[in-house]
Amino acid sequence: MKSENAIDPKIIEEIIKFNKNVIEAPELVPAPDEIVLEETPHDVALEIDKTRLLHYKPLTDKQHKTPLLIAYALINRYSILDLQPDKSWVRNLVQQGFDVYMLDWGTPTAMDKYLDFDDYINGYLDGAVEFIKNESSVEKISLQGYCTGATLATAYITLHPESVKNYIATAPVIDGWRDTTVISNLAKHMDVDKMVDTVGNMPPEFMYYCFSVLKPFEQGLEKYVKFFKNIDNKKFVDNFLRVEKWLSDTPPIPGELFKQWIKDIYQDNLLIQNKMYVNNRHIDLKKINMPIFTQVAVGDHLVSPECSMPLHYAVASEDKTLRMYPTGHVGMIASSLSQKKVLPELGKWLLERS
Amino acid sequence: MKPQSTEEAVKYYKHLSLFWTDLIHLMSSKPQALTSTGPMRAFATNSKKVATELIEINESLLGFNKFQTEYYKQFAETWSEAQKKVNLKYPEIPQDVEQIEVFKRIWIDIFDNDFTELFDSKRFGENYGKLVSKELDLTKHWNNITNVILQSVNLPSKEEIDEVYKELHILKKRITKLEIESKKKKMVERNEK
Repeated sequence: MKSENAIDPKIIEEIIKFNKNVIEAPELVPAPDEIVLEETPHDVALEIDKTRLLHYKPLTDKQHKTPLLIAYALINRYSILDLQPDKSWVRNLVQQGFDVYMLDWGTPTAMDKYLDFDDYINGYLDGAVEFIKNESSVEKISLQGYCTGATLATAYITLHPESVKNYIATAPVIDGWRDTTVISNLAKHMDVDKMVDTVGNMPPEFMYYCFSVLKPFEQGLEKYVKFFKNIDNKKFVDNFLRVEKWLSDTPPIPGELFKQWIKDIYQDNLLIQNKMYVNNRHIDLKKINMPIFTQVAVGDHLVSPECSMPLHYAVASEDKTLRMYPTGHVGMIASSLSQKKVLPELGKWLLERS
Repeated sequence: MKPQSTEEAVKYYKHLSLFWTDLIHLMSSKPQALTSTGPMRAFATNSKKVATELIEINESLLGFNKFQTEYYKQFAETWSEAQKKVNLKYPEIPQDVEQIEVFKRIWIDIFDNDFTELFDSKRFGENYGKLVSKELDLTKHWNNITNVILQSVNLPSKEEIDEVYKELHILKKRITKLEIESKKKKMVERNEK
């Protein structure tokens, strides 16, 4: 007699296969720590304190005249822009003939807790820009800011517009009150004075907490189930482990910088209201009049489009472009879509102005 | 007078503990000074600070527990609501691989949506902010206790090290400014020649 509650043999098969994959996983794939990222060849052109200015070696015979400096975010590492050759933001731009530099903010320690917006903008970023101008014998460079790096870069170009020819803002954190992400909700209710006073720098653990509230079941459980199910798929596994390695490596953020960022951007929303000051100097978005290209990801759950788009409307530039892509925060810079659509569009825009 | 509320009880017992800590410290300070010798002398002298911090930790712990309970309560409520929605949408027990996949997708989508709604709410944000604030209070008390121990072995406290960091930061800024000014001066001189 056939039971009505008989278990489908396929379920047993699936469970056995999944168990087999889990057991065999260590033999098939390396540990994230063992993965060596195949970064685009580069030199360290300049070091200021713990920051490094990376200069990528050309991959074409001819290069466009205006160099491009990328100001990476304060969260995690610059390596997401150069994670693997076929999805590398940097390599793609170098292959398009651009002379690319990247600012790596390094790993701040307890003694860096007093570093603030002024140090990052008028110290590290300006130091890098001046160095590139000297090295390349140009009066102006192109600047790209990504995520929180774009907040810094935006403030920088209002203070030093004479040094920047073109500006690219990729998922910039601009209008904190319009940001609809859960991160902005946590930031708005944070006693940031007490946090910095007590722990100094913003600890990476806090950032890991912020990651954990983003789609906790899809990202915290299902993602790993998919990983073990696809353990035979080399391409999938390789990409997965690289992104995981990147996600689990976030440096602390200097206390004073973090304090000003949370207060001025998320709590008081001063930047978009043109009320922000850095070392007593006014950050006025209306002073931005160079060509500007704003890139926004529709599915961005770290920096919502509503938070980034106001930049496009706040600047005085006549030559301004806003592009929205059907992807997420990381997808915009490190995916097949970024290689096929985002980067070719950026390259074309930049080439016409370089 | 008997305390009427929890808040009054906390205040009453805090006062009681502080009173006796202070008094015992006063009464024992001379015999303590006479009898403590060697590296433990400083610790013995500052032991009152440790006792005071421990009393205040209790107050912070009370607040921490309150917000932590609310934190897990919000989790439990959201979980229960999400599970009800899943049950409504998929009342039957899945029997084959395809059905399990469909069920799993529904479960994940509903749970992710409901929890994102929770994390996005003012209620969660406010409570989480207060919870972290109380956690920081506890850390601060622990820092203060550690400082007493550090001072007893002649090591600088957190505040003293912070002062050094601040001084270094100011000095670095001043040097950078001087370097830029000197560079500009040299350029002007070169141009004049």
